[in-house]
Amino acid sequence: MTDVLSFDNVTVTARMSGRSIDVLRDISFSLGQGDIVGLVGESGAGKSMIGRVISGLLPDNFSVSAGKVSFDGKNLLALGKSERRALLGRRIAFIPQEPLSALNPVRTIGSQFSEHLRHIGIERSRHRALMIERLTQVQLRNAEEALQRFPHELSGGQCQRVLIAMAFAGEPALVVADEPTTALDVMTQAHIVRLIAEQQKQHGTALLFITHDLRLAGHVCRNVGVMYAGDMVEFGPAASVLKAPSHPYTKSLLAAIPELTGPRRVLPALADHMPGLGTFAGLGGCRFSPRCATKDPSCIATRLPPRMVGAGHWVRCAERCEAAGNAQLGDLISLPASVADAPAAVAFDKVRLSYHASRGFLGLRRSRFDAVKSATFSVQEGEILGIVGESGSGKTSIGRLIVGLERPSAGMIRIHGQERTTGAVHLTHRDTQLIFQDPQSALNPRRSVMRLLTQALEVGESYVPESERRPVAEALLRDTGLPPDCLERFSSQLSGGQRQRVNIGRALGAKPKLIVADEIVSGLDVSVQAHILNCLLDLNRKHRLTMVFISHDLAVVRYLCSRILMMHAGEIVEEGPTEAVFSNPQHPYTKALLDAVPPDNADRPWPPVLATDSAMSALR
Amino acid sequence: MSSSIPSSAALKRERPPSATAEALRQAIRSPRVVIGGAIVLAMVICAVFAPQIAPNDPAEQDLLNMLLPPMWAEGGSIDYPFGTDSLGRCILSQMIFGARVALFVGFVAAIGATLLGTTLALISGYFGGWIDRVISHLVDLWMSLPPVVLSVTLMVGFGTGVGNVILSIVLVDWTRFCRVVRSEVMVVARKDFVSAAKLLGFGNVRIILREILPSVAPLIITLFTLQVGIGIIVEAILSFVGLSVPAGVPAWGQMIAQARNYMYQAPWGIILPIIAMFITVLGFNLLGEGLRVTLDPRLRKRNI
Repeated sequence: MTDVLSFDNVTVTARMSGRSIDVLRDISFSLGQGDIVGLVGESGAGKSMIGRVISGLLPDNFSVSAGKVSFDGKNLLALGKSERRALLGRRIAFIPQEPLSALNPVRTIGSQFSEHLRHIGIERSRHRALMIERLTQVQLRNAEEALQRFPHELSGGQCQRVLIAMAFAGEPALVVADEPTTALDVMTQAHIVRLIAEQQKQHGTALLFITHDLRLAGHVCRNVGVMYAGDMVEFGPAASVLKAPSHPYTKSLLAAIPELTGPRRVLPALADHMPGLGTFAGLGGCRFSPRCATKDPSCIATRLPPRMVGAGHWVRCAERCEAAGNAQLGDLISLPASVADAPAAVAFDKVRLSYHASRGFLGLRRSRFDAVKSATFSVQEGEILGIVGESGSGKTSIGRLIVGLERPSAGMIRIHGQERTTGAVHLTHRDTQLIFQDPQSALNPRRSVMRLLTQALEVGESYVPESERRPVAEALLRDTGLPPDCLERFSSQLSGGQRQRVNIGRALGAKPKLIVADEIVSGLDVSVQAHILNCLLDLNRKHRLTMVFISHDLAVVRYLCSRILMMHAGEIVEEGPTEAVFSNPQHPYTKALLDAVPPDNADRPWPPVLATDSAMSALR
Repeated sequence: MSSSIPSSAALKRERPPSATAEALRQAIRSPRVVIGGAIVLAMVICAVFAPQIAPNDPAEQDLLNMLLPPMWAEGGSIDYPFGTDSLGRCILSQMIFGARVALFVGFVAAIGATLLGTTLALISGYFGGWIDRVISHLVDLWMSLPPVVLSVTLMVGFGTGVGNVILSIVLVDWTRFCRVVRSEVMVVARKDFVSAAKLLGFGNVRIILREILPSVAPLIITLFTLQVGIGIIVEAILSFVGLSVPAGVPAWGQMIAQARNYMYQAPWGIILPIIAMFITVLGFNLLGEGLRVTLDPRLRKRNI
């Protein structure tokens, strides 16, 4: 098998304020014809940088300082700009992360696709037939009609299908898919992954699959490379890497993913976070060493060469550390004692939330959209209820109804026995707090961490003079596991995980009895996610906090929640104790959703075969 | 791009500067802000210390030396560096004293327009609904009147005088603030931190003042600076047509109006006040544009 793409000790160096930093170090791997290689790592690992090396779109001040990238036997780095550009689209195609932003919003799908076909040198007369053929292949319904549509008129999954069709249209030798499913729902992810795999097989294309999801990579790829802070720390056949991980980072990454089956155990969480570019210079040896359990002095100073641990499976770690980092099984999570007889913290009775839109001339025609259709459920004090659903299922609306940011159009909501159908939000709802999904938007950039955490003390009966707020803030820092020196910092100076902790801490500052957490771990890396989840479990145990945990991630919900609600298109389709719902789902939607998650066991075939397709589309 | 996320570890080392200090540091590095600020500062010094700086009394007439050219031209005199006008008054001194009227009107009118426009914008953008519709429609209606006609009409109604010039500028230009600030307020008001403040029991006034106003302050500062320049031009136009200051008080517009009659014999009389006005307005525009770039976090360069 000839190599379509090979990286040979590639080092990318960035020049920043006079220093040069190796952003990627000695990356070597190769990709044969029809082969699939996965690059896995958390944000900041440098996996997208590899995609940029291939496309030649490195940021300013970044350059390949050593090594060789060959494509089809040619040295990519030696090619001129125009020769390289000629390769892109024709021989090397990309599937982007954000399908919506990759398409031009003011041009139709047809005109963009056609332009792409012209770029790859296909006669105009053949465009239309070819486009329809390709779009049908990626299972876009009404392909002919889709050509007339603008990107915003299609869903994210549909746009991604269009981009996949475009990527494979020129019969490229190599397709680079950079987190192609991260922005999509679980079920759409299963579809898209299968589509990419099908197209790849059909055209015999080599595929470089970049993702943060080790399990997903295990199902899709033949070989997997694990990236950490610009190093490839482990590389090998997917099954081998997933079953017998050798690098402590791979081990901890796998251990930090909550599982869908088996007993629930406390997730082991790595301390600290991935080093940023600025600190790379101080990490001459193994960049993982500061977080490694063994901290063997030899690997702190020097970088170890790859060591073979199996057929085609190598790792950059010392043999004597082999045993270290073998995650000991965490303690079993004790489910909170039965809360069935506890009083209800939240009671929804036939709650509906509708939005009205005015259309037509002078807004005379009005249309109604029900975000939540007649929801009836309750949350007992001290329990963690999970609400699961895909985007647009109405789960966020339920959260906003509970805290009072939305008022129900019909029905009744009781919070701690108090009716909350009417009345302003201000000053009345302090005992129910919402933790927002995106800490970037939820934290005022002009407040320091100290002023964010003590924001609740500025008004109302809990008013505390400014001079006495510090101890409260320090207590909240401890509760949320933040370093004590970050009180004076601003949210822009924190890492994503720290920001989310501040977000949680601010809500806790109001001393709530009930917390609604809306997708608070969805934007985080798994190791950070494990921290936050453990922190929430802790708070639930310590303060007997009632929690409503909204998420699309079934594994996370299973880890935290004692009971779950399944939402689909504004309706609660299934409700029950977590284990019961997972082991014996009743509603077809729940079944489909469970099937769509990449299973823990890499040997189980996934993505599911076409049979579930019709079932899923029947639900839409 | 995952690897270009600013490293928090690097930031951890030094004590983080406050947002304001950081903005100021950025501002000082921008050449626009430095040049614009220097011009504005020089003009303010001229205006405040006019009696000390001016070589002559601007009202004093030297009938022996009428229409004298600037000192570097042939026949110029060192006593009148920029020459004299048709009544033998020192042009440089008039220009220096003229800065007083220009800057006074510019600043006070800008403050008035900022207060009126921003207040309405905050109310309109934060509350939305019918309040927003009423205010926005009012702004639309107001903006459809031609500004020059509106201000001249207002001046005719109010009568002449500096106070009325300011009032008419405020009444014409508040809409600019209202419209621009409102859209920014709407963006900020939709942020989750505003909802979070509501859940923490903050009242509307407190949310507007503590959460929203600080976020739109950079925009307001920028608009204010640009507005000062606009105010100076409007004042010059109105004093050109004699609707502003009384006859004895030196103002740039008035100087231009008087020099107009002799512009073929003594062109410097008309060119010099125009240059003064041009430089002042340029200074404010440079400062405003520079502040817009440095204070807007979205336009600020990411430092890795």
